[in-house]
Parts: sequence; C-alpha cells; structure tokens
Amino acid sequence: MTANSAAAGIRPAGYALVRFGRGRFLLHRRAAVAAGALALVLAGACVAYLCVGESNVPPAEVLKVVLGQPSADELVVGTLRLPRMTVGLLVGAAFGVAGALIQTVARNPLASPDIIGISQGASALTVGAMTFGITSYAVLPYLSVGGGILAAVLVYAFAWRGGLHATRFVLIGIGFAIALRSVTHLFLTKGDHLVAQQAQIWMTGSLNGRGWDEAAPLGWVLLALLPAVLWAARAQRTVSMDDDTATALGVRLGRVRLGLVLTGVVLASVATGTAGPVDFVALLAPQIARRTTRTAQIPLLCSALMGALIVVLADLLARRLLSPTELPVGVLTAAVGAPYLIWLIVKGRTGGKA
Amino acid sequence: MSRLTARELTLAYEDRTVVHELDLAVPDGRVTVIVGPNACGKSTTLRALGRLLRPKAGAVLLDGAELAKIPTRRIARAIGLLPQTPVAPEAITVADLVAHGRQPHQHWWQQWSDEDERAVTDAMARTDVTALADRPVDTLSGGQRQRVWIAMALAQETDLLLLDEPTTYLDISHQVEVLDLVRRLNHDRGRTVVAVLHDLNQAARYADHLIAMKEGRIVAEGHPTEIVTTHLVREVFGLDSVVIPDPVTGSPLVVPGTPWSPAPAASRDTVAGGDVPGRSPQGVERNHPEAHSVPERPTPEETPRRGTDPEAPASKGAPAEGTAPGGAPVEDTVPPAAPRDPADTSRTT
Repeated sequence: MTANSAAAGIRPAGYALVRFGRGRFLLHRRAAVAAGALALVLAGACVAYLCVGESNVPPAEVLKVVLGQPSADELVVGTLRLPRMTVGLLVGAAFGVAGALIQTVARNPLASPDIIGISQGASALTVGAMTFGITSYAVLPYLSVGGGILAAVLVYAFAWRGGLHATRFVLIGIGFAIALRSVTHLFLTKGDHLVAQQAQIWMTGSLNGRGWDEAAPLGWVLLALLPAVLWAARAQRTVSMDDDTATALGVRLGRVRLGLVLTGVVLASVATGTAGPVDFVALLAPQIARRTTRTAQIPLLCSALMGALIVVLADLLARRLLSPTELPVGVLTAAVGAPYLIWLIVKGRTGGKA
Repeated sequence: MSRLTARELTLAYEDRTVVHELDLAVPDGRVTVIVGPNACGKSTTLRALGRLLRPKAGAVLLDGAELAKIPTRRIARAIGLLPQTPVAPEAITVADLVAHGRQPHQHWWQQWSDEDERAVTDAMARTDVTALADRPVDTLSGGQRQRVWIAMALAQETDLLLLDEPTTYLDISHQVEVLDLVRRLNHDRGRTVVAVLHDLNQAARYADHLIAMKEGRIVAEGHPTEIVTTHLVREVFGLDSVVIPDPVTGSPLVVPGTPWSPAPAASRDTVAGGDVPGRSPQGVERNHPEAHSVPERPTPEETPRRGTDPEAPASKGAPAEGTAPGGAPVEDTVPPAAPRDPADTSRTT
C-alpha cells in the first residue's frame, strides 16, 4: 500500500503549486487564466469608457492623458471621465468581493448586500439624514457606512442562535431589507420634494459627479481591507463544508464567518456610501465569476474584476444610452450582468445551482 | 488504555437532556461501536466526543485534558470525525475534497506540502478512490461518495477516528465494504475507531468493544460475544429475538422474533420447523440458554413483537456463559471468513 504513495502523488485537479519564498500556494489554473482574461477585457472596457462620450476621444489621446502627458483632451478625459471611472472600478470591485464573501457565508447565491438589508440600512440612514437637512457629501458616505454596518449587526444578532444558520441568516436579512426599505420610503414621503428627488437618485446608485474626492478615500479604505480580503480568500475554503465537518477539521467557524461577513459588510457599505446601492452588482459578479472559473469556492479576484467590469460597462451605457441625459448607473447594472448570468445558467455545464 | 474518555458527561439540546452522566473510555487501537435505539443519544455522544457538542456538565478528555480547553485545530490533528451527512461544496472534485482533510496541518502560506500530498495520495489509495481523483463529487454513487468522505477523514491522519453512522444510505454490499475498510484501517495503522451503527448485527461483527445505549445511558459494554444476548436486545430495543452464532464469523447474530402474520399457527410452524439454517432449537438452546423461550413460545398474543415480555428471565444482562458458538450446524456448509484477530480465533474454534 505504501508503494502507491511512492508513485506520483495526487494533487487536487486543476491546481498548480506555486512556490514563493518558503511559502507554497495552490493556484487554480482556470481561475488564474480567467482573471487574466477578465483583466484584459476590463482594460478594453476602460479604454472604451474614456474614449466614448459627448465628445469622442481617440485612444491615443486617452493613453497620453492616462500617462500624464499634455493633451488637448485633458479636461474631458483626465478631469471628468478618469476619476469617475476610477470610482466605478473601485465600487464595482468592492461590491463584487462583498457579494462573494456574503454568499460564501450564507451558502446561498441569492445572499448579497442588496438583498439581505445592508444596502437598505445604508439607504435608510442616508435618506433619513437628507430629509433632516444633512445633504453634504462630506458626511453622507459615513452615515451610509454606519447604516450598512448597523443593519448587518442587527441581522447577524437576530440570526444568531448558538451558531449561524445560513438560511436563517438570509431570511432574516430579507425581512430587514423590506422593513428598512419602508423606513426609507417613510422618510421620502415626509421629506421635501427636492430632497426626495436627490435621495431617489442616490438610492438608485449613481456615479454622476463623482471624482477624485470620492475615489481617494474609497481607495484607501479598500487598500486597508486588502489583508482581510487576502485572508478571506483562504478562509473561504474552510467554511465551504457543512458546520460539523468544518469544525471537525479544526475550523473555528463562528470567528471565520464573522470575519468574512464583517469584511464583506464594510466593503459593501463603503461602496454604497460612495455611489449608492448599485443594485445587482454584488449579486451577479460573484456568480458570473464562479461560473466562469468553475471553482468550488467563489473566486475573489475574479469577482472583483467582474464587479468592476459590470459597473464600468453599465456606466458607459448609462452615460450614452439617452444622451445627453445621464441615467443612474444602477438602472443599467442589472441590464448588463443579468443576461450573461442567465446565459451561463441556461448553458449550465458547471453543475452549480442558481 | 484510553486517550479519549468521557467523565460524567451530560449532554442536552436546549432544555432537553439527551445523555445523563455518562462515563466512557474508548479503548485505544480498537474498534468501538455504539448501538442503541433511535434517540438513545448515541450520535449525540459521538458528537460530544468530537467536540461538536459542548457538554452541559461533565467533560470529554483527550490525553487527560478537557476538550473544551484544547485549541480546536490541535484537536483536529488528534481526532477525525465524519458526520452523518457531510455536505461537500458544489462542483468540488474528489482529490480537492480529500485535500480538505489536510486543513488542520496547513497554513495560509503553506497550502500544500509534500506531507499533504503523501497523506492525500495514501488516503485515496486505501479507500480505492484514486481513479476518481478528478471527478466532481456530485457525480459519484453513494458508495463511492462515502469512500471519498472516509478518505478525507483519513487524510487528516489522526490517531482517533469517529464515524457517525457511516453505512446509512448505503446498500448492503457498500455497507460491508465500508465496514471492512474501517476494520482494515484499524488493523494496519492501529487507529482507534469509534462508530455509531444502526445495525446491531453489523456492530456485533465489527466491534472489538460494543457499547449499548438506551435513553442516554450505557446499558452494557464489552466484547460483543460477551454482552449481546436476547435479554440485552429486549432491554435496549424492546425487541424479542433469538441470538445465534453468526454462521460466518461466530459473533452473535440477532434474529428478531416472530413477525406479525394473519395466520399465526402456520407461521409458527414455519419458524419452529427450522428452515433457516442454524435455527434448529437444539443449537440455539445449547448456545444460548436464555434464548430458547422465544422460538418455542407459541402464540402471537404472548409474543408481542415490541415491548418487554413479562415472562422474560430476570437475569441482568449477565454475560451468557457458553456463548462460544462451537456447534452451529451451518459451519459445515459455509466456510468461516478469515478471523479478525487472534482473540477471536480462540473463541470460534
């Protein structure tokens, strides 16, 4: 019997062993290839985003601006489109990773920050503040983050019963989402017409008028969360089994889950604070990414890239579709991502359930 | 010697106490099987032994230290546990699932060592799932899947292995396959195994140490040939039965009492006629003095299929002397399987 083990060893199919210093990492080949391909597509989408608009700019000029060389299109590309696109990329990536983490913990592809009440918590607090006259964009994002985290804490607390039951977590989240949405509507009806209109646009999720002022803090927060996300990428693997099996394998489930949810909630709340609850990105991006890589876990890097791609493409459409009127990006995110997801499910070769 | 013991263990779900002040010592290097009727607390006990359930009172001790005070990861390097219905992530491949068993030995920066590869390869070879390595787990048959799960628990390379009803949902050939595998692992590596089994006869065949539980308490424990008697079956399961020597292994074989039948007289004749090999009244009588009353007891009114029999002999689960199954007539026709250990050989011959 030991003769067998002396022969070529078995490694999980589809993984490559990567040595890095003294570390050894398992890299899913298909996920790595998919990430590379996605990055290329995303780069293409970014170029298109910067080129196309009220005035079309040739790619060569766009490149000049991006590289910091003087160009006649500095204003349009460098001042208007580039910062807004950067916000879109960061928001999309944050939503993608947040959705992936929350879906992993809930073991349910329907669980995402915009379904289980986190976006609604952010909305309720933000719209509430707006109706009470706080309209400064210096304050609103923080309120939104606070609202999201508050909602998540409530959902988590109510779902906790000596452990976190996945279905319970999702159902209580949906309950809170509905309750918080009606709170938001209460504020809207109570509030001033102008404020209500402004709040309505924010609630749909919009990148209108977002620039470096929004991109910079968002970027810093995401950078600060990077270690947590790297940890999560590995921790995801350990919570993919049922509770008993995971515990038997020495996983401290309660802590790992809390860590994953917390990371996801902070990401989603920060993104919501910046651009409003851009619906469906957090729901779609991880599922599309997973179906593309065919991994057992939801791939975080691909989810981030897919989220960014969805938002950038959707905002490009939002800017151009009814030009010169600019639609809020949230109107189009579902329109961009959903058909691809449906196609993937119908094609259904991964054996994954939707 | 026992690395894993339980001391005055009381287990409860919410307010419902399931196990009452249980003392237990798992013999090292042996196969221990826990049996008992539904809801007797056998799975609950196993879960507590594997720290899946926190005791309400008392403690489970590993090498003398309370489980609750040992980091769960360190426990995972000593105790492997396979739950009753483990759930695999969607679309995971066999080798990937088995590799999960290496979890407690891995680190963030050390995701795959030579040791991991050796353990996974070895575990898969032992459970005969090497050929399935790249298959998605959800495309496997029930028997294959169970072997893959056992491979995962083996890859964990723990001295103690706890199995919660590893044969449930399997057809009989796969049940035998899995139990033989467990026995072989125990023999080859001296691993201590604790399994919860539904089937009393399988338990009697495969256990070195049998624990019979009822209503959260241990009713009897010891070697199957010492403790499995009609009296014990009646006491634990409330079932009338005949206990005869297993024609193949010589371990006790429990045959339930007369089935319900619309024509009692005819059915009684069939039973008493001894058309089942090895059921001749003489053989039974000789080997199991307590047992004879059941097949010879005539009317169905007097033999309720379940529930305790008022006429039952009152001797308290005492090890039936002469359980040694020397003279089962069947042994002439059915060649006995290879005996499992020297101790057994002495008993069967």
